[in-house]
Amino acid sequence: MTKRNSITVPDGYFQNLEQRLQQIPQREMQSAAPRGVARLAPYVAYAASLVLLVTIGTFILRPSAKTEDEAWDYVSYLALSLDPDGLVELKETEELTDDDIRSYLLASNITVEQLALLSDEEAY
Amino acid sequence: MEELEQVFNSIVKQYSERLYWHVRRMVGSHEDADDLLQEIFLKIWTALPTFRGEAQLYTWVWRIATNETLNYLRKERVRALLRFSSADDLVAQKVQADPFFNGTAAEREVSKAVARLPEKQRQVFIMRWWDELSYEEISAITGTSVGALKASYHIAQEKIKLNLSDSEVSK
Repeated sequence: MTKRNSITVPDGYFQNLEQRLQQIPQREMQSAAPRGVARLAPYVAYAASLVLLVTIGTFILRPSAKTEDEAWDYVSYLALSLDPDGLVELKETEELTDDDIRSYLLASNITVEQLALLSDEEAY
Repeated sequence: MEELEQVFNSIVKQYSERLYWHVRRMVGSHEDADDLLQEIFLKIWTALPTFRGEAQLYTWVWRIATNETLNYLRKERVRALLRFSSADDLVAQKVQADPFFNGTAAEREVSKAVARLPEKQRQVFIMRWWDELSYEEISAITGTSVGALKASYHIAQEKIKLNLSDSEVSK
């Protein structure tokens, strides 16, 4: 097998190539600043989401919650009010008695007013 | 930063032409080689601050170039598969269509036979035959033992001969 370079390049290619390659540092340094900001964008978004979550959480808990127990009561109430059907479904599928449910509700410190509210909603 | 730029510019001066020929033979066309060379030198510039001098600059530059070339070829294969076209003969087809080829028909057949080698075997063959690197140098660049490289080169030669005899028979 003989060795002869049978491939060519356009005229003046290597001179032009060297110049183009030597422009890489300048080009990269110019685009480095906006790219730096773009790289930070996801972290800024995460931070903003976290602040939003904390703000909403504080807003929900603060008006009615004076103590920690009251705060958890409110959260339990919210969970039940958001999904009252879940409780009914549980009752139907797992053969829970009304006593079981009453015991559970008493143990969860739900207030009588909240129970009444739930009963009203169920009636509809 | 100016110091880095000076080092980078000297790498460009010293290696760009040599790496171009290596890459061109690996990818099969001038346009692809030109694109890939930009990517390689961009990678070299980005990685230059992390170069610690444990390896020789020469080995380091070649290692980046060969790794980037293999990555590029893998991506090309995936693109070809997504287009439902054959990925096996991709580089040989580019050699066939290359407008910057001024050799004889026989030389084009040899280039196509080289292009049909598996990527890593082709890389070893091109580095040894065309780039005239020693086995020790190739070993430092690729991290493959000298013995394995010699075996690979020998198998590559045999495959090229076989490819050429097959293409003679099919004429």
